[in-house]
Amino acid sequence: MTGLEFPLALFLLTNLVVALLAAVRGPTAADRMLMALLFGSTGVGILVLLAYAGGGSDLVDVALVLALLAAVTGIAFARRAWHAGDKSDD
Amino acid sequence: MMSSVTMTAILCRGALLLLLWWILTEGSRDGWLMGIVAVGCALWLSLRLVTPGSVRFSLTGLAAFIGFFIGNSVRGGVQVALIALQGRRALQPGTLEVQLHLSSPAPRILMAGTLGLMPGTVSVRLDGRWLRLHVIDERMPIAAEVRALESRIARMFRERI
Amino acid sequence: MIELVSTILLCVGGFFYFAGTLGLLRFPDVYSRLHALAKADNLGLGCILLGLAIQEESLAAALKLVLVWPLALSASATVSYAIARRADALGIKPWRREDR
Repeated sequence: MTGLEFPLALFLLTNLVVALLAAVRGPTAADRMLMALLFGSTGVGILVLLAYAGGGSDLVDVALVLALLAAVTGIAFARRAWHAGDKSDD
Repeated sequence: MMSSVTMTAILCRGALLLLLWWILTEGSRDGWLMGIVAVGCALWLSLRLVTPGSVRFSLTGLAAFIGFFIGNSVRGGVQVALIALQGRRALQPGTLEVQLHLSSPAPRILMAGTLGLMPGTVSVRLDGRWLRLHVIDERMPIAAEVRALESRIARMFRERI
Repeated sequence: MIELVSTILLCVGGFFYFAGTLGLLRFPDVYSRLHALAKADNLGLGCILLGLAIQEESLAAALKLVLVWPLALSASATVSYAIARRADALGIKPWRREDR
């Protein structure tokens, strides 16, 4: 516990929100797909920081599962949803 | 009668899975019964999915690959962070086609994935032996870096390239 | 001492996340944004995990933190390849400098 965990988690959350706003106005569906990447790495980072900022070690398990799901959902999304959505909204 | 290859595979994989369970439970002994069941199921599944002796794999090769990977991902991260700080004017992107010498599909896929985390490259398309890369800066010695990674992967999978 | 190293690692991690987001905002096309996100964010995560792991007293719990990294890495590697391949299949052309 260095006291830095919570502020850093907030900082990562700010990063995530800024990137999310950028993605909403992002020019192509490809840019919105980048969110799958961002949620994987930033989400996991926020969770482990919160675990050590007093949230309890259960959050590390959540982070592990999120990292696993990020891989699976990302691929599924890239193969189906994006392909179908692209014709209509780009 | 079980062959010695199968025996070795069961012992090695079982030990690895036990270690994994120990890490996941953070060393607590409360759930050991559950652990035995989970490790047993995972072991059975791994023997079904990957037949013992079908994959040639070198542990020292793996260690060398991990070392190479960590060093280069630090370099890649620092490089792209510097480019991001300088903005668009530091970019000189391009594409590059490389031919892989790796002969089986699994190492090629590992290679395509790993290149996304190495300095300057992102894999765009893997088509048989041909890999198309997007390069963040054409002035970097990308081809040499690709070959260096390829030789580490080949060593890990005991391939001769 | 450990506290100091941990603080440094956490700050460095935060910086790489920042650089990743900066790249996402500043780079011109999806391919170069992939470079920024995949590489910088993963290095940031690695630094943060290491910074937390060296504070941890139990070895198993520290190893568990370290175990998150390869999982997140394989997620990023597969997802960024999937995105790049789809972008390529959809015919999105990489941005190129014009002043050459």
